[in-house]
This record gives sequence, structure tokens and C-alpha cells, in this order.
Amino acid sequence: MHTEAIDPPGIQWLRVSPKYVTVRLVEWAIGNLISIALLSLPLLFVLVGWWMWPPLWLAICVPAAMLVLALWRLVLIPRQVRAIGYAERDDDLLIRSGIFFQRTMVVPYGRMQYVDVAVGPVERSLGLCTLKLHTASAGTNALLPGLPAAEGARLREQLSARGEARLAGL
Amino acid sequence: MTQPGTAVDGDWQRVHPASPFVRGWVALAAVGYFFGRETFERLLQGRDLVDPNLNGRAPWLLAGGGILLLLTVGGFILSWYFTRYQVAGGYVRVNTGFLFKQQRQARLDRVQAIDVVQPLLARIFGLAELKFEVADAGESAVRLAYLPLGKAKQLRATILARAAGVVTDPETVEAPEAPEHVVLSVPPGRLIGSLVLSEQTVAVFLGAVASVVLSVLTGSGAFYLYLIPAVLGIGAAYWSSFNKGYHFTAAISPDGIRLRYGLLDTQAQTLPPGRIQALKVSQPPLWRILGWYRMQVNVAGYGGAAGDDGAARTTLLPVGPKSDVMRILSLVLPDPGTDDPERVFTAGLQGLDADGGFVTTPRRARLLAPLGWRRNGFLATGTALLIRSGRWWRQLVLVPHQRTQSMALHQGPLGRRFGVADLVLHTTAGPVVPRLIQADAGQAVELFDQQAARAREARKRQTSEQWLAQVVPPPVPAPTPAPAPPPAVPEQAAPQDPAPTQEDPKHG
Repeated sequence: MHTEAIDPPGIQWLRVSPKYVTVRLVEWAIGNLISIALLSLPLLFVLVGWWMWPPLWLAICVPAAMLVLALWRLVLIPRQVRAIGYAERDDDLLIRSGIFFQRTMVVPYGRMQYVDVAVGPVERSLGLCTLKLHTASAGTNALLPGLPAAEGARLREQLSARGEARLAGL
Repeated sequence: MTQPGTAVDGDWQRVHPASPFVRGWVALAAVGYFFGRETFERLLQGRDLVDPNLNGRAPWLLAGGGILLLLTVGGFILSWYFTRYQVAGGYVRVNTGFLFKQQRQARLDRVQAIDVVQPLLARIFGLAELKFEVADAGESAVRLAYLPLGKAKQLRATILARAAGVVTDPETVEAPEAPEHVVLSVPPGRLIGSLVLSEQTVAVFLGAVASVVLSVLTGSGAFYLYLIPAVLGIGAAYWSSFNKGYHFTAAISPDGIRLRYGLLDTQAQTLPPGRIQALKVSQPPLWRILGWYRMQVNVAGYGGAAGDDGAARTTLLPVGPKSDVMRILSLVLPDPGTDDPERVFTAGLQGLDADGGFVTTPRRARLLAPLGWRRNGFLATGTALLIRSGRWWRQLVLVPHQRTQSMALHQGPLGRRFGVADLVLHTTAGPVVPRLIQADAGQAVELFDQQAARAREARKRQTSEQWLAQVVPPPVPAPTPAPAPPPAVPEQAAPQDPAPTQEDPKHG
């Protein structure tokens, strides 16, 4: 399935660490296993005979549909991770994500109010971190996950320094 | 301690002694009501003023009431005594609280907007509240409640003069109030007309028809009972719109745009030049009959317009004809960045297809927006990006280039099928959400790139937050490589302005 990107031409994208797939897999497993387990409860109750109401087919179909959806999302994860990219230009940072629903974002250095680096337990064990940029707008949802810790630290310093140099008012 | 007229820079000053009472009148009224009600009822019923059975307990009750009253009043006095403010050295500082002390300071050159608010009770006493907004979409950075009206205005002038970079005598804080020139006002008749023709009225009308039909069909009159709270709510909503929009006046002064409005509670807002992050001109379908428009803005300090108050504060023009819209646009964007702003803005407000140079949704994507595709479009002038949309609910969004925070291109599977993409401009919280929808993918990518460059250029040209300091003392003759717009532009922007009013267009 080839999809044409909507990125500006001539950008050399830096990709995030392939290890980020593991983080996404853990998130996927936790989220989906819990929801499928919950949705399977009626099936269990019907089979045991405690419940009369949901007919057997319905009790099977709902968790099955959920399972199919979850598997579909599982298949997409590596592609989605590969689609995340960023590029430092002279005056702004570009961030892209998504294949099916694409998003390309530009954040000028001078507009950055502050930069967050967050590390979760799974990310820490893999030596990754998540970078988040904040501007005066709440709409700037600039999240850059799955960066190697060293690269994250470098980027943070770099962005802060560049932001300082180009700081503009609101 | 406070000597109006001779206050020296850095002097700590207090708010008006009556202010806690004006603010806390509800508490006082509650105490009064609690103890006064019974006596009043007895008086009405012609019985003894005091319940004879209470004789034994009366002193206790009186003492309790007295203590409560004393505590309240004492608290008021303490809170007044410990609330002090100071304007000095580029900062405004406010100290409050006696148990939990709070010190707050805000940089003057970061002022986004400054409001003088007079709730009804404060207005009766000739007091006013001063609200000072910095770029934090939460609560106001500084609220001074209450000051005598004259003093509040004086303080506003001082803060704005400092923020503008006007150098005054360091010995005094007093700055003369900037002269202002009324640009337009909304007559009450038009305001009422706008309410009658609003979307709200259509909804009310449809609701009424539906309930009548239902009651006829079911043959029960109970529906009318349910309507009573609805009618009350709708009445309150209309009243609030009327109260907020009454006697709306827009004026221009060197400090920025002044907006005044309100019937019972009056408010005077000042938006310094260049503080408007984004602007929206919209027209509900029924307003088209009379050619009216509404204008709303995003200002960094005003936040997400929660409730009536927020909605009123972000309204730049509650209702007005096209000439008013043009006049306000010329104030907000003194340099429109085109040779023929009249034609461009008209095309943005009413036009279809390529009128005025707008680039619209490609014809192949007309299935995605069967009505709107001829109207959805964009146009970049030298100073702002115009985004137009809506065939019935017409809308024109305007974002000055140097106010663009960040941008994102979006494309979903459907958009890819038709070769279109959306461009979202991120701006501060507010009623305006600039989003260019269903633009040709190639053009959207091009615009994305160009817009990033334009915003960069515009930011470079904007040198200082102090808007008058940029032009008033010119030791070096204009070091900025501003593309020097012809003098005709500022003139036509605000024709009646006194000379120093028009700030340099380079920082819009």
C-alpha cells in the first residue's frame, strides 16, 4: 500500500529509534488485553450459565471484533513507528507522523516556550525518552516519542539554545 | 498613605477601603438575612419584635451574631490592609493575604490586555476593578479590586505607557491618559435586531414549534409546564447578551484598541497594538438579510472564553455592517499587505471561487464539501493569512504572520483519495480556530512551507514588545529592513487618527 506523503519536498527526515516499537507493543498489550478481558466476561458468564441475556453469538462477536481490531492495530505499529520523523531546519523543527492519517507539523524555535523530556518505565529500560515542545498555543501538540536518551538530551539542549537565540514575543 | 497625583515610583499603595465590602457584600447580606429575617417576619405579622420564648437565649444569639459580624468585618479590614500594589521598574507587583501571603509580579512589557471592569455595585460607589492580562490563558495575572474609577484609569494609562516604552519623568508614575478617538458604536436597536435574528432564535423557534406539535399530537398540556424553565433560561441568555453588548463602543488610542460595553456592569478593555493573535469575522445565515457581521478575537491573556464573560471579552464587534468590519480590520491590521484591501476583504467576507485572489478547494473534491467547496479558500497577503469558509455560515479567519505559533498539515484517507489536505494554524486559546480545510494537497504543502518562511520574516521584523519605543525615539533611522509600505496605507488604515497614534506597521 503506497501512500504519498504530504511533507514539504527535500527534507532529510531523522527517524526515531526502532526500539520504540517495543514501547508501543507494551502499551498495546496492556490496553487491549484489559479491554478484551473485560469484554469477554459476558461470554464467560453466559457459558457458565449465570447470565441469560446476551445471546451466545453476541457474547462471542463483541470480543472477537475487538480482537480483530486490536490485531490490526498491532500490525500497524511498526509502520507507524517508522513514519515518525523529525528534521531540524535553521529556524524551525519539523515533526511528521502517521501514514493513514498524516500530520506534518512545524514549530519555530522562537515560539517554543519550554521543552519537556519525559521517560516512562518501559522507555527507561530501553534507554529511550519522549520530547515534548510547548508553545503559547495549546494546539501545538508536538510530541516526539522514542528518542534515544542521548539524542533526546542533545535535542533538548539544542532546541533551548536555538529558542533563546530566536526568542520572539507572543 | 496614598496621595493621588503625587505618587512616586515604587510606592506601595492600597486599594480602596470599601472594596472588601463591595466584593463581599454577599457574605454581609447573608449574615443580615439570617438574623434579620425572623425579626422582619415578626414585624410584618404585628407580633413582638423578639420572640418571648427566646428571652433567655437572646443575649447568646445577639452575641453570636455580633461575633460573626465582627469576624467578617475584621477579615475584610485585614484583607484590605494586606493588599498592596506597586508599579515600579518595569513590573507591577501585588501582595495579598495575611495568613497565606501571596506575592505576584508581572512584567509590564508582557501585558496582553488590560481591562477596567465595573460591576453594578462597584459602579454605584464609583469604583472599578483593574485586570491585567499576561500571556497565560488561566486567571488574570493581576486583579486590583477596587480602585476609584479615576485612579483605575490613571493606573491603566501608567501601565500602558510603561509597557509601550514611553519614557516618563522617573520621579512620578503618572502618565497622561492617552487621547482616544471613537471609531464606531453599536446602537441598541441593531443589538436587539441581532439577537432576534441570531441562531439562538432559530433554535428557540424550532423548539417551540416542536413542543406545540408534540402537545397537539399527544393531547396533553404538560409540555407547557416543561417549557417554563426553558423560557427562563432563554430569557436569561438573551438578557445576558443584551447586557454585555449594550452600548458597545470601539475607540482607537495610542495605547491600542479600546472597547467599552455593558448596561448594568460596564467594562472597558484595552488591547495594545499587535496583541491580537487571530481574528474571525462570521455571519449567521439570518444576518445576511441585513448584511451584519460579528467579529471575535484570540488574545493571549483572555483564554478559552469560558462562560458569558469570556465570550464578551473576546468579542471585537458584537454586530455591525461591512463598513464597521472594514474599519476594525484597518485598526487590527494597519498594514493589510495588499494594494486593494477593500476588494480582498470583501472577497473574504462574501466572495466565491477566485474572487480577490483566493485559492479554493479544487473542483475534484466538491463531493467532500458540496456547498462549501467554492468558498473554502485561503489568501496570503504581505502581513496576514486569510482563511475563508462556509457557504451559509460564512466565516473569514485572519492570522497575522508574526502571530503564527506553529502549524500542522493533516491528511486522512479520504483527503488523500481526493488529493486535498487541511492546514491548521496553532494560536492561543480562544474562540478562533484557524483551519484551512480541503485545500489542494500540493498547494497546501506549498503554503505550509511559504507560511513558515513568512512567519519567520515577520518575527524578525518585530523587534520589541514595547510598541511605542520602536518608533518614538529614533536614534538610528529605522535599522529594520521593513518593506516600507507607502504612507497611504497607515493613513487609510485609521483616517481620523492624531499623528502619533499610528504605530509602525512593521509590528502590526
